[in-house]
Amino acid sequence: MEGIYMADYLNLTNKRIMIAGVATGIGKTTAILLSELGADLILLDINVKELNETMALLKPGQHFSFPVDLSDILNIEKKVNGIIDISGSLDGFVYCVGIRSRRPLRMITPKVLSEVINLNFGAFLELTRCITKKNNFNSELSIVGISSIAASRGGAGVTAYAASKGAMESAVRCLAKEMAPKKIRINTVVPAQTNTPAYTALQNMAAADEDAILARQYLGLGEPLDVANVIAFLLSANSRLITGSAIPVDGGFLTS
Amino acid sequence: MTNEEKISLIEDALEIEPSTLKPETLVGNISELDSMGKLTLIVLCDDEFNKKLTGEKLKEFNTVQDILDFMA
Repeated sequence: MEGIYMADYLNLTNKRIMIAGVATGIGKTTAILLSELGADLILLDINVKELNETMALLKPGQHFSFPVDLSDILNIEKKVNGIIDISGSLDGFVYCVGIRSRRPLRMITPKVLSEVINLNFGAFLELTRCITKKNNFNSELSIVGISSIAASRGGAGVTAYAASKGAMESAVRCLAKEMAPKKIRINTVVPAQTNTPAYTALQNMAAADEDAILARQYLGLGEPLDVANVIAFLLSANSRLITGSAIPVDGGFLTS
Repeated sequence: MTNEEKISLIEDALEIEPSTLKPETLVGNISELDSMGKLTLIVLCDDEFNKKLTGEKLKEFNTVQDILDFMA
């Protein structure tokens, strides 16, 4: 029978997976989970202290960590090539980096817009471009980006953020088709409100009407592990027929 | 930055007619300070003064002078 038996569910042994953005929240939890599932990891983050803290929480494996400023987009290619020279070619890539920008239109200057789009979307696309070059990846590479319900639902004050996530989802649909002949799959996960430091920071802001949001998110606030579980599934061969998709992990938000 | 300059920044960001706000103006009487107005003020404090204003802190402000003191 074709396909992967559920009995082999989520075994990532001997899979080499790069995760960008592992300091806190979903990225950090994903790194720990993937190490528990047997993967060898390459962790990237701008924050050296938190990068090392996450490294220390991994189950043993052939792991690497590299401090990288991904907003320096023109130097990503050189960095990635250097890293893969050391680590070996990739079986998976997860992009968890993002600025959770919350601003009314009148405060979205060109500088702010370019920072948000550059880091939330541009660096994701550039990393994907570099990783999917010949010899940098193994057959059946799986790529996962973290999108947001904001990509498809309007909210006052989240224009720049929503646009960056919308760009990611649109790009992923195109890339899935373009890269299928190379046996590469690419998807996004779409969290709603998730219990992370970024969420707590937003709650502290005046305009955040969290009760109204959680009323629509009728299964309640998500935990980072809820999202990490779906990322692990998308990285595994069990999801081999899923590509170009935006998978909600939203407590029902997008259906309410 | 003088208080006059700070008030001018607030008026500009909230699209309030120049020279409308006084230090003694009650925050509760500024109709432009709706939810997006509050978000604007939070972003303004961050961008211009590198101060992290929270929703809780904003609720404590009684007059414009309290905002000016926070920006200091």
